Amino acid sequence: MEIFRYSKNAWGQEILLGMSWDLLWLPVAAAAACIAGHQLLRRVPRRR
Amino acid sequence: MSAGAAGTVRHRLPDRLFHWAMATLVILLLATAFLPLLGVRFNWVPIHWVSGVLFGAAVLFHLDRALRVHGLAAMMPTARDLRALVDRRAADPEAKYDVYQKLYHWSVAAVLLLLLATGGAMMAKIDTPLWRRDPAILSDGDWGLVYALHGAAALLLIFFFILHVYFAVLPEHRRLLAAMLVGRDGFRRNADAERGA
Repeated sequence: MEIFRYSKNAWGQEILLGMSWDLLWLPVAAAAACIAGHQLLRRVPRRR
Repeated sequence: MSAGAAGTVRHRLPDRLFHWAMATLVILLLATAFLPLLGVRFNWVPIHWVSGVLFGAAVLFHLDRALRVHGLAAMMPTARDLRALVDRRAADPEAKYDVYQKLYHWSVAAVLLLLLATGGAMMAKIDTPLWRRDPAILSDGDWGLVYALHGAAALLLIFFFILHVYFAVLPEHRRLLAAMLVGRDGFRRNADAERGA
């Protein structure tokens, strides 16, 4: 899985284009993991 | 701020309007950024940059309110906040914002300011009625860095947006959502009544 997108400029040099959009699932998955974690955590009683 | 029998006003009208304008603009910006990547084809650039400019104006409005009306102290994490965080104790019921809300606010603020700064630079790459494009202001490598930072911040914004909606609809937080709609905080009103305030 690539983190960044690259291209070649007119001189054949590799240049950075930006983030790889293959990562689009990552924030959704991270948020889902946080939500699942929070649902588990809120079942643990808080100290008063 | 007390509003007598009507309850405690948690968010005043200008702040509520700012919040919902911000929400609308964030949804527009995320939709115009990511729907084309998911295969939905439309002329997204004009909607995106106009929303971005409005978004910048909304942030300036918020900064003015934060600095001249509210002050920054209510949003600053305190030593007591951090101790409560470490000890997983209940948040201070008297505080307007708990430590999680404060940390969330500053995290999102950093992401949004990065998006505004990089998005502002990227406006040099488009023609608008107000200016002609001039991509030569940065080198190819620097543009790559600007695009990478904008993309990374946009991905983080998706993460924060989902969490914000999740926490807003939790049963114990619905009074906060109601306060963002109508201004009054029913929970604090009830708590005040119980204390005889």
